Amino acid sequence: MHEISREGSSSLLYVDRHLVHEVTSPQAFEGLRMASRGVRRPDLTLATMDHNVPTRGGLPMADDTSASQMRALERNCAEFGIRLYGMGSPGRGIVHVIGPQTGFTLPGCTIVCGDSHTSTHGAFGALAFGIGTSDVEHVLATQTVWLEKPRTLEVRVSGAPGPGATAKDVMLYVIRRLGAGGGAGHVIEYTGDAIRSMGMDGRMTVCNMSIEAGARAGLISPDGTTYEYLRGRPMAPGDYEAAVAGWRAGLHTDPGAEFDRLLEVDVAGLEPQVSWGTTPEMTCGISDMVPDPAEFAAGDPAREAAARRALEYMDLEPGTRIRDIAVDRVFIGSCTNARLSDLREAARALRGGRVAPGVRAMVVPGSEEVRLQAEEEGISGIFEGAGFEWRESGCSMCLGMNPDVLGDGERCASTSNRNFEGRQGAGGRTHLVSPAVAARAAVRGRFEAP
Amino acid sequence: MRGAVAKYERDNIDTDVIIPGQYLKVHDYDELATHAMEGLDPGFHKRGAKYVLAGRNFGCGSSREHAPIALSGSGIEAVLALSFARIFYRNAVDGAFLLPVEIEEEAYRSIPDGAEIEVDIDAGTVADHTSGRTHRIKPFPGIIAEIIRAGGIFNYRGDGAA
Repeated sequence: MHEISREGSSSLLYVDRHLVHEVTSPQAFEGLRMASRGVRRPDLTLATMDHNVPTRGGLPMADDTSASQMRALERNCAEFGIRLYGMGSPGRGIVHVIGPQTGFTLPGCTIVCGDSHTSTHGAFGALAFGIGTSDVEHVLATQTVWLEKPRTLEVRVSGAPGPGATAKDVMLYVIRRLGAGGGAGHVIEYTGDAIRSMGMDGRMTVCNMSIEAGARAGLISPDGTTYEYLRGRPMAPGDYEAAVAGWRAGLHTDPGAEFDRLLEVDVAGLEPQVSWGTTPEMTCGISDMVPDPAEFAAGDPAREAAARRALEYMDLEPGTRIRDIAVDRVFIGSCTNARLSDLREAARALRGGRVAPGVRAMVVPGSEEVRLQAEEEGISGIFEGAGFEWRESGCSMCLGMNPDVLGDGERCASTSNRNFEGRQGAGGRTHLVSPAVAARAAVRGRFEAP
Repeated sequence: MRGAVAKYERDNIDTDVIIPGQYLKVHDYDELATHAMEGLDPGFHKRGAKYVLAGRNFGCGSSREHAPIALSGSGIEAVLALSFARIFYRNAVDGAFLLPVEIEEEAYRSIPDGAEIEVDIDAGTVADHTSGRTHRIKPFPGIIAEIIRAGGIFNYRGDGAA
């Protein structure tokens, strides 16, 4: 991390990597143009299209404004000399999937993007956080960003999760413990044997959802798993061994490092988690029942009111077994859970079953590279044979701004990151789950442990 | 800055209810304004409120700057909340769209929906003209006060001489 200057508790940081997508960048480029500014480091900037893209080949955009937003990114990247993985490019994908897969994301970097899930890149020991469009413009123009010095929070996760539980379940449980605003003002460092034993895809899932606990960022110190993942990636450093030696020497967590706060989370025997409400902290185990709002609130009236409203929105009664909740839709995708190992886990969890009658299920790979790998491995065939729709990559039904949306009142088992009201489409009801639980929900039509 | 309050006694008011995803491709600020708070209170933009009053973690979720833009476009000068999600907070300040003002529990509980209030940044107070009571607001941390004084991140020079 390169701190250029400091004013009180705020630092001006040099940005090592800037990721750009079509939704939060148009006004930033327009601002540059109006001020006659250029892009300071186009070589450290990488753009793609993900939020608006239709994921079914040949499908039209949701509307003209989607198309114009995508054309604007093409124009802006051409004018300012920025590398773009646009429509038709094999490099295209969700911005937080392509950063790591290309090796653009590297340990020790400061990484920003006009997207809250930029925290994903923290899995590589990078300081990675989301910014808004004004700051995107500032970074394009100056390659710097002002950050108020965050406090530090160690989340130490220990134990071996139970059968069928994955990194997603671990993170949903961490958020349940921490609360949707519990990490506010902090950068989380995840430590402990449960984190160390995860592969990079799982670590990315964990760091991705740091923002759902309100944290500015989340990171994991890099280790052999990290370095093996990055080896041979197209944008990884040329003298890779030297780079690894540098990372090894400089980026480990010091023994006895002190954090402002510590949360110890024991995930030994943890069962798969399912969200029942409208914030990710409203989550329980798959064998639990929908909680009573008063019990959930533990004496906090605001929390109780929020839980009541959530149950009303979700059309759920306290005491209903999670296993008895029937779903209409299944979405396997998003920057949280659409990497290759997520799709492998989901395909395995199908166990040869078919999508239940009345359920519509889709798989949206995180990038075109993930899609092609999955097709080569035969994973796409497993899904299609089971009755899933197999799509091209994009943000898809995570956020309800492209053609993939829930209808009013539809209930969805979703591997995405947010269960906010209307997130997946007006009136849609989201249950956040792991890819394996989503796959079982597709087959059974209701929640079931993988 | 004297005006009416729209109060929402909720924590975790997220960016998806402040401005739902389908409007993220709308570039016209006036049109965005008509969808402000649509996920929570579809008639919001017609209320003529100058202030929003809410609970903890206001603006959590997405980095969409459309959220403070839509609120600002519908006449909101400041959001008063017990706490803010950081990206929303910085977007509001860096783009000079509105003031994110942190308040204490006591002000949150005491100021009712529809009250006529006035925020005075220099004095560090919010006056409730309906009840006649005055409450303290929390000071802006770090460089935030200077960015606000400068009128946004592009006018902030970073040497204390906004």
